[in-house]
Amino acid sequence: MGRQVAVVSAGFSEHASKRTDVSMPELVSEAILDCLKNVPSVGIEDIDAFVNGNMPAFEGANVPELWMTDWMGARNKPLMRVTTGGTTGGSVAISGYYNVTAGIPGVDTVLAVAFEQQSVGTTSVGLASVAYGEISVLNSLGMPYEELTRLLSGGAAIGIASYQAANYMRRSSITEEDLARVVVQNRHNAAKTWWTHLKMPDLTIEQVLDTPYISYPLRYGMVCPASDGACAMLFTTEEKAKDMCDIPVYVNGVASVSHETAILGYNGSGAGQLDPSEQLGAMKSAELAFSQSGISFPRKEIDYAEVYAPFPNQELMWVERLGLFEENTASSMYESGVTALNGELPINCSGGVNSTNAIGASAMERPAEAALQIMGKASNQVPKTVHTSLGHGWGGIINLITMMVMSDEPARKFK
Amino acid sequence: MSENKVIVANKGMVRADFNFWVGRYMDKFYDNFEKKKLVGNKCQKCGNVFVPPRKVCGKCNVVIPLEENWVDLPDTGILKNYTITPYRVNDRTSRKTKPQVVGMVQIDGSNTAIIYRLINIKPEEVKTGMKVKIEWSEKPKGDPSDIKGFVKI
Amino acid sequence: MEKVGIVGYYQVQLQSEANYGRYEMIFEAVRGALDNAGLKKKDVTTVISCTNDYYDGRTISNAFSVEVGGAYLADESKVEMDGAHAALYGLMRILSGNHKLAVIWGGSTPSCYPYHSARLFETDPTWERPNAFVNDITAGGFQMRAYMEKYGVSAEDIAKVAVNNRKNAAKNPSSLKEAQYPNLTTREVLESGIYADPVTELMVSPLCDGVAAILLAPEKQALKITDKPVWITGVGYNQETYYLGDRDLSTSKSMESAGKMAFKAAGIKNPKDEIDVAELSEVFAHEELIFSEALGLAEKGQGVKLNYEINGDLPINPSGGALGGNPPCATGLIRIIEAVKQLRGEANGYQVKDAKKAIASGQIGMCAQNNILYVLEGGN
Ligand SMILES: [Zn+2]
Repeated sequence: MGRQVAVVSAGFSEHASKRTDVSMPELVSEAILDCLKNVPSVGIEDIDAFVNGNMPAFEGANVPELWMTDWMGARNKPLMRVTTGGTTGGSVAISGYYNVTAGIPGVDTVLAVAFEQQSVGTTSVGLASVAYGEISVLNSLGMPYEELTRLLSGGAAIGIASYQAANYMRRSSITEEDLARVVVQNRHNAAKTWWTHLKMPDLTIEQVLDTPYISYPLRYGMVCPASDGACAMLFTTEEKAKDMCDIPVYVNGVASVSHETAILGYNGSGAGQLDPSEQLGAMKSAELAFSQSGISFPRKEIDYAEVYAPFPNQELMWVERLGLFEENTASSMYESGVTALNGELPINCSGGVNSTNAIGASAMERPAEAALQIMGKASNQVPKTVHTSLGHGWGGIINLITMMVMSDEPARKFK
Repeated sequence: MSENKVIVANKGMVRADFNFWVGRYMDKFYDNFEKKKLVGNKCQKCGNVFVPPRKVCGKCNVVIPLEENWVDLPDTGILKNYTITPYRVNDRTSRKTKPQVVGMVQIDGSNTAIIYRLINIKPEEVKTGMKVKIEWSEKPKGDPSDIKGFVKI
Repeated sequence: MEKVGIVGYYQVQLQSEANYGRYEMIFEAVRGALDNAGLKKKDVTTVISCTNDYYDGRTISNAFSVEVGGAYLADESKVEMDGAHAALYGLMRILSGNHKLAVIWGGSTPSCYPYHSARLFETDPTWERPNAFVNDITAGGFQMRAYMEKYGVSAEDIAKVAVNNRKNAAKNPSSLKEAQYPNLTTREVLESGIYADPVTELMVSPLCDGVAAILLAPEKQALKITDKPVWITGVGYNQETYYLGDRDLSTSKSMESAGKMAFKAAGIKNPKDEIDVAELSEVFAHEELIFSEALGLAEKGQGVKLNYEINGDLPINPSGGALGGNPPCATGLIRIIEAVKQLRGEANGYQVKDAKKAIASGQIGMCAQNNILYVLEGGN
């Protein structure tokens, strides 16, 4: 049976739209140095293994963990590379957890690092190549060319997201103003977190609604930026964690569940699902992670959540689908301040993916910030005590969901 | 930060240009290429000299400060290893061409080896351990192509 | 480490140019492994895939193989290394206690993409890639010369490895047809044309299309699923530094460390005497010698003196190894499968007598920068 795992530290590089001052390995080393700085008793020699991941096609670097070995401090160490698209960071963190819990002899302390230097390449090319291979197939099935180019130009993100947003808005009867409110909360939060990209402390709902549409209902002011950045997390066993930091954060549940198919559905809805806001994968993933953690009432038991939402409609959709709020009530929770920094269930106090998106790193930055909130070390720390938090990731084509549920108490499920 | 150097690496199968920020260490390295000069940097802990320079010594896992420990290096070295291949991996394919000699050269005063073509030499004349010298291009641009290759001395 | 059982396996027939699609191949492998164990999709709780976005020519390539790989609404992830590394992640997931049955599959179809070009994307883009003098072809040449010059090994000695493995491949029906040479001589290997001097064409593992899959289960479940489980009793994995100019290419530091880690876990003190058969992922013939020395099966530079034939003291790659077909992302996983066949007595035509303990390895990177090694044991 597996061992109890704890997060003892998390670190970030500075994020910006173009980190022209560093090469890719140097960017990664920044996050690692920041992560280790927080645990003074831990040196690179104490790290037994590494996990690394990004979205390789975005930067034009295949298996870049080989090149950056020395910058990571991974020379002559065990290393595993995990990539799963947008969820890469979450998958890397989950792999960090599994590396420790497995009890492979010699592997106790594991450094997981995820990154993206999007300014290096053309992310839209990378995203378009997600759909590219399907074009000929769909064309041969009779899908009109105009639809196909739309799918192609939309790639995996904005194209699908706009359908998803429209579907969600219809389901929950919300307005564009409700979407803008989520954005404003995120950008205000980002301004108080040191490593983030879009810091907008004075943004208003009106300003967001003044920006033009990219694709209805999403406006320029609502979508995430493309960032360069890296994130690192340090995992170890329960015993070692106590010597490394004051408040170890125990990882009590993890899951990464996918609900998609080999061929994109019509209009890029993905997974042959007609409704891209349905998200069976998210529900299944949440169910798995919560049951491992012994959580029966997420609404009551989760004190803090970081969800992966490049687009504001997704943030509303996720908090419902993950069971944090009742169906179609999320928007009112944002309006009444429940999700604000000093609210009952604060969400994305780091500013979320909506404010900073170094794609490969984003899904790790969620559990990393969620862990820091339990430690009391987040830049934008919530005033109440956080006992249990969750970090969520979204990726794949439209539906691979990673979940990491953490607490200041071990779940003791391994008794 | 706009003056920072990029290397455009568009060779390979992906038809997109990737602009790799080289970082400040390599920036300084390539700036010296424009003067047909080779520089490296030295790990303050183990004393190993790296060419190209590095931010992190992999052996010691220490950050070498950007402003310190730079070492001027000669453009001569010793051939440590070589191979001869008719394959050229380039231009989005690998194809057979005239065999070329590719050598691994330890620059005098450094502790690593760099890999370039050996030029103006017949394959049967190549021996490991021989002394070689950099052949700079006439008009260096400050990128890896400024070194045309190594010649025997 | 608790025992984890390999309870099923399947490898598609390796082909230079498969006349069917990648997804069909993945489905065949995963379905085949489940059938091999008498299990169903609903028994699968986790799936670890191994592909490479550059090899597949698309971002997030694993997203498209969710259904065919049996991962629909299962807890899944992707390791972008070799299938043998994916098996490690599967092993960890079983050891965690969170999962009862893991599917691991890996593979790709190099007939559809320029392999060497994709490998070029591994190199340092700020220094080596624009010139492309460092690539997987020249790296093989450097590695063989470093090994030969350090220990005075002749090209003929290395050609013998190619002869042995390609002859073995001829006995293994699931190896690549084009790799099978029942009557090969060392002279033919040496005269097969320059690949990257001193490496000749027949010393290079031939690229091919292929997918392989295995199933892992905890000890208790494994015993219920099959009466011939094979146990993973040790694993080691390691990565050395990147720049070829920084490395001693005459040996494999990463394999040495992986070996130490795996042997320690499995309680193996003298690998040469305790191991009955080895399946090593040798991209080039000389790598088999370098690996066997790094693992302590022979003294440094003496690998060629090992009796590595099928009926020898320590048979290495009785299946033909990677020289019998190298489908990227599946090669290491196939080594595990071949070791499992030996331990279950199912290696018809190339069975090693009384094989009880085996090792299997996988690698990625230039000159095998990252290696993984498994110790496998048969019997209940
Ligand atoms: Zn040093």
